[in-house]
Amino acid sequence: MSIPKEAYEALQSIVGPEWVSDDPAVRIADTKGGYATGVVDVNAVPPGISIQPETGEEIQQIIKIANRYRLPFIPTSTFFSAMCAPTIDDVIMIDLKRMTQLEINEKDLYAVVGPGISHSMLQAELFKRGLMTFVPTCGAQSSVLANLVHCGDAVIGWRFGLGYRRVLAVEWVLPNGDLLKLGSRSYLKDYFWGEGPGPDLRALMRGNEGHEGGLGTITKIGVKIFPFIPEKLEPKGVSPRTTLKLPENRMKWYNVTMPTREVAVDFMYELGRCEIGLLVSSIPPLFRYVARSRGKGAAGFWENWKKFGENADKNLMDIRVLCFGWTSEKQLAYEEKVLLDVVAEFGGTASAGPATDESNFQSADAVCSWFIGGRFLSEVYFESLDCGLHTEKGVRELARLRTPPLADTWDTPMLWAPYEFGHMGKQESLNYVDDKEIDALRAHEQACREMDLKIGGYAIMEDTRMFGKAWHNYDQWMKKLKATFDPNNLSNPPKPLERLLYEE
Amino acid sequence: MMITLENLRHDANGCIRCSNCKWVDHIYMKSARFARICPITQKHAFNLYSAPGLMYSALAIMDNGIRFTPALLDALYKCTSCGACDVRCKRNLDPEILSVIEALKAKAVEVGAGPMAEHRAVAKNIETTHNRYSAPHADRLNWLTEDIKPSVKADILYFVGCAASYADPSIARATARTLLSAGTDFMVSTDETCCGHLLYSTGQFDAFKRQAERNIKMLEQSGAKTVLLSCAEGYKTWKVDYPKILGKSTSDMNYNVVHITEHVDTLLKSGHVTFTKQVPLKVTYHDPCNLGRLSEPWYHWEGTYERYGVPNPVKHFRRDGHAGVYEPPRNILKSIPGIELVEMERMKENAWCCGGGSGAELAFPEFASWAASERIGEAKETGAEAIVTSCPVCKQLFQRTAKENQTNMKTYDMAEIIEKALP
Amino acid sequence: MGMKEDLAAIVGVENVSADAEELKLYSKDYSVSMPSMPNYVARPKNVEEIQNIVKLANRTQIPLIPCSSSIHFNGAALPVQGGIMVDLRKMNRILNIDIRNRAIRIEPGVTWTQLQDELDRHDLMALNPLFAHPLKSALSGSLEREPMLIPKFEYGDPILNLEVVLPNGDLMRSGSSCTVGFPDNAADGVNPQGPGIDWVKLFQGAQGTMGIVTWMIVKAEVKPKVNKTFFMPFERIDQAIEPIYRIQKNMIGSECLLLNRVNLAAILAEKWPGDFSFLREILPPWTLILILAGGWRRPEERIEYEEEALNRITMELGIPEAHTSLKGAPGLEKKLPGMLRNAWPSEKVYWKFGYKGSCQDIYFHTVLSKAPDFTEIVTEPVAANGYPLDEIGIYIQPLERGRACHFECNFYYNPQDTKTANRIHNLYVEAAETLINNGAFFTRPYGPVANMVYDKAASYTAALKKTKHWLDPNNVMAPGRLCF
Repeated sequence: MSIPKEAYEALQSIVGPEWVSDDPAVRIADTKGGYATGVVDVNAVPPGISIQPETGEEIQQIIKIANRYRLPFIPTSTFFSAMCAPTIDDVIMIDLKRMTQLEINEKDLYAVVGPGISHSMLQAELFKRGLMTFVPTCGAQSSVLANLVHCGDAVIGWRFGLGYRRVLAVEWVLPNGDLLKLGSRSYLKDYFWGEGPGPDLRALMRGNEGHEGGLGTITKIGVKIFPFIPEKLEPKGVSPRTTLKLPENRMKWYNVTMPTREVAVDFMYELGRCEIGLLVSSIPPLFRYVARSRGKGAAGFWENWKKFGENADKNLMDIRVLCFGWTSEKQLAYEEKVLLDVVAEFGGTASAGPATDESNFQSADAVCSWFIGGRFLSEVYFESLDCGLHTEKGVRELARLRTPPLADTWDTPMLWAPYEFGHMGKQESLNYVDDKEIDALRAHEQACREMDLKIGGYAIMEDTRMFGKAWHNYDQWMKKLKATFDPNNLSNPPKPLERLLYEE
Repeated sequence: MMITLENLRHDANGCIRCSNCKWVDHIYMKSARFARICPITQKHAFNLYSAPGLMYSALAIMDNGIRFTPALLDALYKCTSCGACDVRCKRNLDPEILSVIEALKAKAVEVGAGPMAEHRAVAKNIETTHNRYSAPHADRLNWLTEDIKPSVKADILYFVGCAASYADPSIARATARTLLSAGTDFMVSTDETCCGHLLYSTGQFDAFKRQAERNIKMLEQSGAKTVLLSCAEGYKTWKVDYPKILGKSTSDMNYNVVHITEHVDTLLKSGHVTFTKQVPLKVTYHDPCNLGRLSEPWYHWEGTYERYGVPNPVKHFRRDGHAGVYEPPRNILKSIPGIELVEMERMKENAWCCGGGSGAELAFPEFASWAASERIGEAKETGAEAIVTSCPVCKQLFQRTAKENQTNMKTYDMAEIIEKALP
Repeated sequence: MGMKEDLAAIVGVENVSADAEELKLYSKDYSVSMPSMPNYVARPKNVEEIQNIVKLANRTQIPLIPCSSSIHFNGAALPVQGGIMVDLRKMNRILNIDIRNRAIRIEPGVTWTQLQDELDRHDLMALNPLFAHPLKSALSGSLEREPMLIPKFEYGDPILNLEVVLPNGDLMRSGSSCTVGFPDNAADGVNPQGPGIDWVKLFQGAQGTMGIVTWMIVKAEVKPKVNKTFFMPFERIDQAIEPIYRIQKNMIGSECLLLNRVNLAAILAEKWPGDFSFLREILPPWTLILILAGGWRRPEERIEYEEEALNRITMELGIPEAHTSLKGAPGLEKKLPGMLRNAWPSEKVYWKFGYKGSCQDIYFHTVLSKAPDFTEIVTEPVAANGYPLDEIGIYIQPLERGRACHFECNFYYNPQDTKTANRIHNLYVEAAETLINNGAFFTRPYGPVANMVYDKAASYTAALKKTKHWLDPNNVMAPGRLCF
């Protein structure tokens, strides 16, 4: 270890000796991230020190010590992302799990959260108060703060827009240890508003995704919350088959099937014009089979998936719509009528689904994407629903060239999750390989990026080195931005400068 | 497949650090305060103090990346092996992460790093006196009173366990009186020795195996076909850990295991037991981990992992929290006149461990008290006057902690409550 | 070559001027800000010309002040340190209307009127502010974060993407519009995220200090075919607050706003000053306007369930049912949806000018529950500066389902009367100070308010200055504004 003794002692004096450790086992446990592990974090090394502050002031002091001794640092919360795994020596891992500040302003619909508050914790408190938030697709265990400043992706985007725009006022410890307060916190005690004064510096917080600790540590945010109906969502079942029972007088799922992807996209646009539904998303057969196989293990999935593939209709596209009586029961009836009108007009079929939810309100099980084994990567695009037709086709055709070793998707439709009543949407394609064939996944990934350059695909996992020049030299601006705010290059370097999917 | 780290590499590697193992089932989460399910994570927060941390440690130990460091031993032996992480993990994933933790403890013992000194002392007691307290073996049946006269031979053997035999005989007496009152023919054995739960849960597998074989032999010689237990630890040990250490499934064992709450529940339903006495008490029920999520039958599996981690042969089982003994104690409490049962936020497969299990209380009494305080606080939120549980370790820890904290929360064993209500 | 010639070489001699009379037009606006003269005006026609102007400014260190409207209200287009006015009005094309994605790509010179007229042809509507001046640029209005009348869309701003000439002359496109070949590629330019940072947010509220936006993609929404207007009169503002919270939390209605009688009279007056005086007398002190908008399909049915819910709320609160007409303004209920979804008609005197010729606005963000307090707080500096309390116009715009609101006071005055104008200037400064000290959040600090705000927001100011230096080390873009 080359972290100076004086630095270690100074860190101990900030948080107390029990909250700092350089024990090798503590450090090893801070090495591996979750998502894309084995693909992204191949060069991960243990940090030099792990430290657990409880307040923003402590973080400021830690970062000042880091600057004094020129030690790099990385903030993490749930660490459900391999992007924050250290790749250089002597990193101070700033673990934010103890920062569980939570205040709820019921009247003005915002909560103030520290990084240690998970989506389910917030939701549990909101449900008690007749309010709600939504959980992101990656799961309710994720930190509200970390998730929203990084990705914030959730099907709720249909009605409530991009997740990160739920972030209001922000407290942010910059790479030099200074505390930056954004929005209404800039000169007030309140967290109710995020913009200004003047230009909105939340702009620096994230681009396609968050800065991953490359520009300091966000320590507290105000976050929008939403009103809810008086009816309660009742938990039912025993692990692992637990679910929330939805009030049938207010909520109703419909499973819609459209004859082709193109018609399905038209259908989603039309739903957007109608401004109905709380949640709208396509359900790829792959996802459906993964979900169905939960509790049966990898063997159950692959057997069923193979059987399905033999007779799969490559064109049919399923869409789930949650009609909602937010205003009243009568609104639910209205939404159902409109939905069924549109389904009929577009030549689809619709059937009511079970009045339960385990993917949007208090829990989300995207983690089950892993149980089918091997490794996977998602090609995630954010653009128009129409653009999704191009990217999905492109990725599918490229995947076909490498299948096998890539697992066969049977050319069935992948995910469309429209946002903001169809103004934009996410289109995501998953590809799996066995652990031993990760190279094929990487080659596929590279081919997808090359395709993006050709057709104008806008994937969220861009590699700055590859796209910088093509995208108006934004990499050069990022380089200057990093130097401006992190002159000692200590805040999870080289992020956000280079977002490398993997090292060669 | 025997429980060794090397055999469980696939499982350790299967952790994708989603961190679901740290929270109760989100769907059943009712507040931010009682959202967590893993005591070591709640207390220490470092990633090491969690299932993912222990999985990565297990991999690093196998690959000579680290040794058993002080922090790793601290995390490993504060871990009560309560199984919460395992149940939560299996909502979405396949790995047997609890088995990895158990194997990691065994590895610590194998290389001489574990267990903790307090656990070694208990092991020595068991070896020399056949009980964990170093009390004379001859005193094992001293709990019997004039009015309690078990049969010499019966189909049911009441395996009393060390705690009820020596430390808390009121549980043994209440259990025996309940059986007598219900007309259940049962026997006890002077050859009963410690079930070995602490040995297994601290990784002392060799010593545990000896205890398993000794007690199974005792059962065979007794002629009984069913082992009845009032102790959650003993119940899980007979039902899960004995077959596990012997490379068998629960269903392969030629005995049945039944807990007193299961037995009484059956008798209640068949009308052989009725509760007539008023027990005016507002209570909450604490699910002992060993009677709840950890008590699901064990299935032995041996095989390999093929492409995409598909097991060969296919596993047709899944211990995922659905088959614990949750309802019998609740049915009983609901049937007792005067008892008002109120539930804590974390219950059944989502219950918070008392903090004392797997020898944690012996080696880390302050940690155990902290975990128990959390639970007592949760019980208080319900407005209950007393906690009822089915595990002597839980009971003793709650009582000690309540006294230390000067709170007036009482704790009873289920058997004691049942006895109060009998005619 | 002199500067004028350099500029002429870029934009053509006919598009450059150093003529004093012409420059004078840029030297003052309808705000209380001090007039200041530019040295030149250049009228570029395309992005390349703008890039060349910016490069020239960097070479010569001369300030650049972008402007895209013929009329300004808050001092944000005044050349406080002289320099070149970059008048973007010649760039007034609607570049693309994307009906499927409900998005429209506009140049800076496109006015709200022009935008609405175009969208109208496609059954769409813009997310516009309250009665924008017909000559006001829709692009700069959106950049300035003028509040939308419709709080039901969770997003507070309608901007999807933009193209901007950065302060060093480089071009940047935000979000997916940065993709190779845009707009002739697969992307439709509707994802505002990235690349690297959230460029869209950075240029909003920047008052031209961060670059020159050359086009913008904004959201449009479906224009409701059927509407039903409701009016809820209140004697006191505090009585209006809970109904607004309830209406918004129950997701009822489209446009929703609260006006006091002075502002509503100014909006409704056809003939000055007679109508205005009459309406001020007859209108209730406060009127909540709520438009129930029928959906794209089954419009009447949507209005029906929303109306029922509205009635339920008034019953629960024990207040009279919302009215479907407004006393003193017969037929308004039919006209109002159309009026609100358009800029102010060009043939009519602008509503803020009818009473006394000009109007000074002061606005900030707060939460609805604090709006009544601010109505009181503002009276002290108003009274101290001799402005009649019963002539304050107040407009409260609930934002994002009532989570917050835009609170606006309008002070009507005669700009020809220097004494009054000076008093209004003092009033503006003192009111801003009082409001800030009492917790008003000025997200858009203009003119003298900027200093007050940035003095208080030390960490934000420091970070803004660093950010500005990152983009504009020579400080050529609109120097002297905000904290730069």
